[in-house]
Amino acid sequence: MATDTLKGTTGASGATGGLRRLLLDNGALTALIVLVVALSALSGNFLTADNLLNIGVQAAVTAILAFGVTFVIVSAGIDLSVGSVAALSATVLAWSAADHGVPVALAVVLAVVVGVAAGLVNGFLIAYGKLPPFIATLAMLSVGRGLSLVISGGNPIPFPDSVSHLGDTLGDWLPVPVLVMIVMGLVAAFVLGRTYIGRSMYAIGGNEEAARLSGLRVSRQKLVVYALSGLFAAVAGIVLAARLSSAQPQAASGYELDAIAAVVIGGASLAGGTGKASGTLIGALILAVLRNGLNLLNVSTFWQQVVIGVVIALAVLLDTVRRKAGATTPVTSGLGGGGRGRQAATYGLAAVVTVAVIGATSLLHNGGSGSTTPRVGLAISTLNNPFYVSLRAGAQAEAKKLGVDLTVTDAQNDASQQANQLQNFTSSGLDVIIVNAVDSDAVSPAAKAVNKTGTPLIAVDRSVNNADSASFVASDNVTGGKLAAKELAEKLGGRGKIAILQGMAGTSASRERGAGFAEGLKAYPGIQVVARQPADWDRTKGLDVMTNLMQAHPDIDGVFAENDEMALGAIKALGAKAGKSVQVIGFDGTADGLTAVKAGTLYASVAQQPTELGRIAVRNAVEVADDEKVAKSVMVPVKVVTKENVAGFTG
Amino acid sequence: MSDPDELLRIEGIRKTFPGVVALDGVDFDLRRGEVHVLLGENGAGKSTLIKMLSGAYTPDAGRILVGGEETRIHGAQDSERLGIATIYQEFNLVPDLTVAENIFLGRQPRRFGVIDRKRMEADAEVLLKRVGVNVSPRARVRELGIARLQMVEIAKALSLDARVLIMDEPTAVLTSEEVDKLFAIVRTLREDGVGIVFITHHLEEIAALGDRVTVIRDGKSVGQVPASTPEDELVRLMVGRSIEQQYPRERADTGAALLSVEGLTRDGVFHDVSFEVRAGEVVGIAGLVGAGRTEVVRAVFGADPYDRGTVRVSGAPLKGHDVTSAMAAGIGLIPEDRKGQGLVLDQSVEENLGLVTMRSATRGGLVDLKSQREAAARMAGQLGVRMAGLQQHVRTLSGGNQQKVVIGKWLLADTKVLILDEPTRGIDVGAKVEIYQLVNELTAAGAAVLMISSDLPEVLGMSDRVLVMAQGRIAGELSADEATQDAVMALAVSTNTVKTEKEAPRGH
Repeated sequence: MATDTLKGTTGASGATGGLRRLLLDNGALTALIVLVVALSALSGNFLTADNLLNIGVQAAVTAILAFGVTFVIVSAGIDLSVGSVAALSATVLAWSAADHGVPVALAVVLAVVVGVAAGLVNGFLIAYGKLPPFIATLAMLSVGRGLSLVISGGNPIPFPDSVSHLGDTLGDWLPVPVLVMIVMGLVAAFVLGRTYIGRSMYAIGGNEEAARLSGLRVSRQKLVVYALSGLFAAVAGIVLAARLSSAQPQAASGYELDAIAAVVIGGASLAGGTGKASGTLIGALILAVLRNGLNLLNVSTFWQQVVIGVVIALAVLLDTVRRKAGATTPVTSGLGGGGRGRQAATYGLAAVVTVAVIGATSLLHNGGSGSTTPRVGLAISTLNNPFYVSLRAGAQAEAKKLGVDLTVTDAQNDASQQANQLQNFTSSGLDVIIVNAVDSDAVSPAAKAVNKTGTPLIAVDRSVNNADSASFVASDNVTGGKLAAKELAEKLGGRGKIAILQGMAGTSASRERGAGFAEGLKAYPGIQVVARQPADWDRTKGLDVMTNLMQAHPDIDGVFAENDEMALGAIKALGAKAGKSVQVIGFDGTADGLTAVKAGTLYASVAQQPTELGRIAVRNAVEVADDEKVAKSVMVPVKVVTKENVAGFTG
Repeated sequence: MSDPDELLRIEGIRKTFPGVVALDGVDFDLRRGEVHVLLGENGAGKSTLIKMLSGAYTPDAGRILVGGEETRIHGAQDSERLGIATIYQEFNLVPDLTVAENIFLGRQPRRFGVIDRKRMEADAEVLLKRVGVNVSPRARVRELGIARLQMVEIAKALSLDARVLIMDEPTAVLTSEEVDKLFAIVRTLREDGVGIVFITHHLEEIAALGDRVTVIRDGKSVGQVPASTPEDELVRLMVGRSIEQQYPRERADTGAALLSVEGLTRDGVFHDVSFEVRAGEVVGIAGLVGAGRTEVVRAVFGADPYDRGTVRVSGAPLKGHDVTSAMAAGIGLIPEDRKGQGLVLDQSVEENLGLVTMRSATRGGLVDLKSQREAAARMAGQLGVRMAGLQQHVRTLSGGNQQKVVIGKWLLADTKVLILDEPTRGIDVGAKVEIYQLVNELTAAGAAVLMISSDLPEVLGMSDRVLVMAQGRIAGELSADEATQDAVMALAVSTNTVKTEKEAPRGH
């Protein structure tokens, strides 16, 4: 205190000095400001009121989760289950309100109770079962996700309208998620700063044994800490689902890592004892600003992940460097100049690096952004799948041919992230938006918002429900499923046992293909489905699930995988049996799939034409932009590819 | 530079931390084959000085000369290269590695890229023999007692061919027998030409072992005197004033028994421990390290469970293994491990002082931060905690001031029975006396004090009665008049032959 007043008289800078000290004392805040300045300079669409509110909405769910995680990290624990618990709470809310007619207010309470209960289980296992927090919450991560899938049956549950208002805006400008984020942030700050439980968290995190020997009931406090984390997770889940107007059983997966990153960027130590709600908010904002800015700058989605990783490391590095400098630089003595200069140089360097990284990556993919060519955005569900990579290739080729400026984003199969990306598209004023929805229901609120701005919307591969799309370009999944059933049944001579590998539970493609297949099988009563298990569109999971199924049913004759990736995994598991005693049928007709068909291990694949989908979507987009009429629905045909006709297909 | 025997010279060293000038003009030199004692109160800057030599800190100004050449020490590698080895109070050993692996950590002898265990263990054996400790190179460090850990550290320093050996309070945690052993080793090293920097708070050790003494006060070297200087003079140099009485115990009137312990037993740890402490009384518990003293008081406080027996406070029985009810009954514990168990190091003085009273200052879940702050300010003033402000982190306080904070948090809670476990370990003379005064004030106000200490003069000087523990049992009780060093030691090493459950021999 005394040193402060001393400094005040010597340093005549006054207000600017105070600001500088504030920034030097808070590395994360500095990083956020550097980012905002850099992005404002690089993109004219960044610093608008609408876009800033968008960032707030996009940060809300991570921030609310992170506030809860802050409690846990301050008390030297970790909570990996928050994403799953959020999804579970949202599912419980939708399930009770929509499916069982529970009054909405009661359903919300029920959802929160579920979150708290999950937290209490975590706390009990940790405090009384003496499980390491990492393990206890890792278990809850799995249990929570599993329960939400069980309750929902794997399908997204549409939200009752009254709850969806939580995702709306108040007074036409203040989005409710932002409001909830602010309220929860204030609650977190209050709990940490003023309450017994909050002060106990710092003591327990700082030195658990000293806290215990000072009479703190450490076990009981831990129970409350994890319960609070569960409570915040439940609120985050409700906000997330309200924004999407549907409870997605797969929502918020991986969000626990974002939340932990936000807390650590905000200055908390994973060793416990330090951390603040304000820091956590800044951490969450840094992540949101970054994702938003990179969308606006049209940075390639692959590079986005690199940049996000680099910035997380930089932000925490900045904070560590600051603390180290703070520990060795004298404040009172006159020798301070050199140290402060070095500190300033560090900040300068960090700023330059950030601007350079963002600038370079945006230039890499910005091409010529002439004002006359139409600008089109393509929001893809995931690029972690060759099918969509082909779709993007087709779109890009067509865009090049027609001279269109095409921006592509990757939602990584996360409906909420896709909603953010659509928001960012409208912010940057694109002429047409093409969306390949993660989920047809979950995309509708974001699609409605796009409709409101008057920007035409085109859906590709998956439909958009409850909103207007100028055109829908898709493969015929139901017909494809029927064709697959017929092909497999014929090959087996109308009798035999088969297993089905399903796509990610809750996705429309999985539902449609599964329904088509089931319908196709009706004509073949001799075929018996002995197992039906999800493998999440993923080759590795296909391999694992198939291995397990073979243990239970060593005598199966056929496998239907709802995509080629899972089929290829299943073939790996079947080994020599594949194509000999067991026939496998896939879906999509990807390059790898077709190679397997040629080799005879994959009997057939129901081929879609992803490049064709991308091509037609972009062509329709350009026609819409030129005010031409386009077909409301374009069904790109599917085709069964077997060894006989595969040659003609790859060419 | 002219002196070929000079190993090390430090001139005008200055080092500052935010808000604190730790060192300001320290001179020091070390010759071959001498024990040079560094003396100073806690916080005087001794630790900062040796951290400059081990490369943990770099000086802001001044020169360090090694073997007559000016050098800069920028890290552990630098100091290792210069032949400087440091043994800190907190040992730098990996618990789950063997003794040999610890000695050669990072420098294990290798053959074809594979660690040559045979050679490593043989080499370690030679080093261990040199320091005269009987321990297998294959033993895990976790299984060793403190004295042996220290010997392993010394062996490690020898393996580096250290010419300069810095020992930071090596005797603080040793029993007198172990201290004698250590001294013998240090004398051998001195004869081999090693220069030894020796830090201690025990003045009697200076005459026994030292050659020269450099006294540091408030970050300055205030004098260099021969080790034969009288203790009074050393104290005067160290604290800047003379201390009349080292143990100023003022006996208060004793009242009713506040704490009564009967037949307390934890199988395999302590057996049938019974004693009582009256209001206004200081009862000391003496004994060798490992006699079970700490275990008993932790059980009394409810920090650990016990199997049989009762603990009563003012006649009312206490629930076992429940810190909260012990606290509610008015018991407080100042634990042995100040940093590990007494303090939340990265929290402020205010928060640490308020830790015990936080619950009672809570209304409807909200902590009354204002009253907590006022109470902390009052207590810090009363105890004379030397700090930059209530917001200073306790990590950066000196040992004596840290201990005052630990005591202060219990004083704020109106503690009736205060248990002190090694209350002055690693604390300088001036602060010790202040803590003894506090004990006097407590007993004068009618509280009961139970004090464990391995510092015999302290136990004898401060206690009204002394309990001596040996091998988990109370070996005897001595009144203040009967208690002499010899009487206490005789009881402390006595073995109870009737006993059935015997502790594993600790290998003396």
